[in-house]
Amino acid sequence: MGLYLDACAATPPHPQVLAAMAEAQARFWANPSSLHTPGVEAAEALERCRQELAELLGAPGHRVVFTSGGTEADNLALLGLGRRLKPGRLLLSPLEHPAVAQAAAQLQREGWQVVLLPVGPDGRIDPTDFGPLLAPPTRLVSIGWASSEIGTLQPMAELARLCRDAGVPLHSDAVQAVGQVPVDLGAVPVNLLSLSAHKFQGPRGIGALLLAPGLEIEPLQHGGGQEGGLRPGTEAVALAIGLVRALALRLEALPREGPRLGACRDRLLERLLACPGLRGSGAQGQRLPHHLSLLLRSAAGVPLCGRSAVRALARRGVAVSSGSACSSGRSSPSASLLAIGCTAAEARSGLRLSLGPWIDDDALAPLPGLLESLLPTLPAADPS
Amino acid sequence: MAAAPIYLDHQASTPCDPAVVAAMAPWWTEGAANPSSRGHRPGLAAAAAVEVARGRLAQALAVPPEGVVFTSGATEADNLAIKGLCEARLERGRHLVTVATEHRAVLEPCRYLERLGFGLTVLPVGPDGLLDPDRLAAALRPDTVLVSVMAANNEIGVLQPLAAIGALCGRHGVAFHCDGAQLVGQAPLRPLELGIDLLSLSGHKFGGPQGIGALVLAPGVTVAPQLHGGGHEGGRRSGTLPLPLIVGLAEALDRALADAPARGARLLRLRERLRLGLEALGGITVNGALDPRLPHNLNVTVQGVDGGRLHRELRRWLAVSGGSACSSGAPSHVLQALGLSREAAAASLRFGLGRGTGEADIDQALAVVSRLLPALR
Ligand SMILES: Cc1ncc(COP(=O)(O)O)c(C=O)c1O
Ligand SMILES: Cc1ncc(COP(=O)(O)O)c(C=O)c1O
Repeated sequence: MGLYLDACAATPPHPQVLAAMAEAQARFWANPSSLHTPGVEAAEALERCRQELAELLGAPGHRVVFTSGGTEADNLALLGLGRRLKPGRLLLSPLEHPAVAQAAAQLQREGWQVVLLPVGPDGRIDPTDFGPLLAPPTRLVSIGWASSEIGTLQPMAELARLCRDAGVPLHSDAVQAVGQVPVDLGAVPVNLLSLSAHKFQGPRGIGALLLAPGLEIEPLQHGGGQEGGLRPGTEAVALAIGLVRALALRLEALPREGPRLGACRDRLLERLLACPGLRGSGAQGQRLPHHLSLLLRSAAGVPLCGRSAVRALARRGVAVSSGSACSSGRSSPSASLLAIGCTAAEARSGLRLSLGPWIDDDALAPLPGLLESLLPTLPAADPS
Repeated sequence: MAAAPIYLDHQASTPCDPAVVAAMAPWWTEGAANPSSRGHRPGLAAAAAVEVARGRLAQALAVPPEGVVFTSGATEADNLAIKGLCEARLERGRHLVTVATEHRAVLEPCRYLERLGFGLTVLPVGPDGLLDPDRLAAALRPDTVLVSVMAANNEIGVLQPLAAIGALCGRHGVAFHCDGAQLVGQAPLRPLELGIDLLSLSGHKFGGPQGIGALVLAPGVTVAPQLHGGGHEGGRRSGTLPLPLIVGLAEALDRALADAPARGARLLRLRERLRLGLEALGGITVNGALDPRLPHNLNVTVQGVDGGRLHRELRRWLAVSGGSACSSGAPSHVLQALGLSREAAAASLRFGLGRGTGEADIDQALAVVSRLLPALR
C-alpha cells in the first residue's frame, strides 16, 4: 500500500458507514415517494437523516436539500438563488472551487456582475475591506469556508455577520470544512451551505445544500417534486444514511482527531520547510488542520513544476495533488495561488498534502527526504 | 407487527440486487481516490475503473462509450437532455414536442422551457396509451428541435413505437429524446438502431443503486451542461464521479439483461394470472394496451369504489401504487390522458412485478383484493 495524502480530493468511507449503507440497502430501498409501507419507511429514514444533518451543523431550523454532491449543491445555491433575484453584483472569493466559480460564470452570462474579493497573501478576506463592498448593487455573496488548494479558513463568523447586517444572502461552499473543523450555523449565520459526503469518509454521489429558514430558491432540475420541489429525482436513501453516519462519526472524533492531525501536519511542515527550496502557502494558524500546501523551488529559487512533483511522488507510491482534483486535467496556473499574489510560475509550483485518520507520524517520516531528493529532478515551472 | 405487505411496485423502485451490492463493495474502499486525480495511481485506477464501467454500459446499449454521461438518475438525465439540447440548438429553433403521458421528469423540464418562451406541443395519446406517429408528423414544425417520447410508460407499461418516431425525427432533422427509465434493463434496447439521439436511464429501476443513472448520446449530439464546475464527463456534467455507484449501474444492467427474456416470460405469465384473476372479480378494467406492453406491468381501474378508501384499505396488505410514485397521491395524469375521469383515475391500481415476485404473491394479492372488494363497494 502506498501513502495516500490526498484526503481533500476523496476519502475512503468509514467501515461503519459502509455497514450502515449495506443495512439501508436491505431495509430502506423502496421509493420514498411511494405511499405504501416500504415507501413510508424509506421516507421516514430520509427525514431522520435530514433532521440529524441539520442538527449536526447547529442548524435545526435550516432546510436540508440532498444533492448528488458538492458540485450540484454549489450550482443549486448560486443558480437557484441567483435566478430568483434581480441580477446584481455577486461577490466571490477568488479561492473558489470550479463548482462555484463556473456556476458564477453562468450567472454572469445571465446578467450578473461577478466581482472577486481581495484577499491577503494568506488568502484571508479582511472583514474591514469586505463590509463596504456589501452596498448595492451587491445582491449575493459566495465565500468558501476553507480553501481546497491552500487550506485557508475564512473568518466566516465575521463575514457572515456583516452580510446579515447588510441583508445580503451569503453562500458558503463548506465542502472542505465540514467534518474537518467545527461548522456551527447557530453561531455563523450563513444562508446557504454546501457539503459533500466523500470528503469526510462518507459515500460518493451525495451532498447537501442547507438553506436558512425562509430562503426561497429555484430548482435546477424539474420533475417529480421531491425535496420540497427543490431537487426532484428519487432520493438515494442509503447514501443519505451514509452521509449522516459519516459526519456523526467525524464530529464525534474531531475534538481528538483535529488536534492530532494538526500536530502531525505541523511536525511534517517543520521538517519540509527545513528542505532548501520548499515554502508554505496559505495561512499559518487559520487553516484546515489536515491540510499542508507548499510552493516548490529549486535551491536557486526557481519555481518547479508541481504537476511533475505529483507524478514523481506517485511513482514512489505517494498520492498527493498539485491543486484541486477537478482542475488537475488542465495545465493552467492555479487561480488560488495567483489570487494570493504568486507569479504565474509560482502558481504552477503548488503541492497539496492532505491527511486523514489513517495517517500518523511514522507514515509521514520518509516524506521530507523523498521530496528533497526529487526536487533536483523536477523541471522548472512554466512562467507563462 | 403485521407481516410486510406484498411488494408489487417494482416500477417505483427495485431492491438493489445483492450481487450488485457485492460488486460495488470493493470499490468503496479500493477505488476510494478521486477519478479526477490524474496525477497519482489511486486516482488513475479509479479513473480506469470508471472507463471499464462506461464501456460495459455502452456495450449493453450498443453505443460508443463517449456517448455515456453519468448522472444522478433519470430525472437529471431527462433535464440534461431536454434543457441541454434546446440550449445547444437555440439558433435552430425553439419548439419542442412531447406526449401527455410522459413522466414529470420530462413534462416539467418541457414546461420550464415553455415558461422561458419556447413553443411546446403536448400530444395526446389514444385510449390505448399509444402515440400515433402521424399525429407526431403533423406536429413537427420547421423550428422544432426536440421530440421527447418515453420508451415504456411507468404507469401503464405501454411501449411507444420508437422506431417509427425515430425514423420520423431522423427525416426531419429533429433530435429524439427517449426516457428509457422503465425499459432499460427489462428488454434489450439499442438506441442507435431506433434513431434515438438521447436516452435516459436510472439504476434503481433495474436492480441497481439509487442515485445513479445516465444520459446516452448518439455520436455528434451535444448538450449544454446544466451543472457547472470541474468539467467532468467531457464538460457535459460536472461533479466527482461516484465510482462505486457507476460500477453498480453497469453490473446491474448486465445482470438485468442477462435473464431479461426468461424473466419477462415468467412475469408475463404471472401478470396474466393476476389480470385474469382480477377480471374474474368483475368491475375491474385494464388501462392501456395489453400489447405492446411491459410484461411486468398491470394497471386497472376498480369500478364503483372510492379511490382514497381503496388505497387506504389495500395498503396494509399490498404495496402497489395509484400512479407514479412521484405524484404522491394526486390522480394520475396518465390515466386522465387515456380519457378516465379523476374519480376513475383515483380508483386505479398499478402493479409492477419484479425479479422477486412469485406465484404465491400473485395469489395472495388476488385474495386480498377479492376479500376487501365487497366492503369497498
Ligand atoms: C471546495 C470544493 N467545492 C466543491 C467540490 C465538489 O464536490 P463534489 O466532488 O462532491 O462534486 C469540491 C471537491 O471536489 C471542493 O473541494
Ligand atoms: C419513466 C420515468 N422517468 C424518469 C423517472 C425518474 O427517475 P429517477 O428517480 O432516477 O430520477 C422515473 C422514475 O421515477 C420514471 O419511471
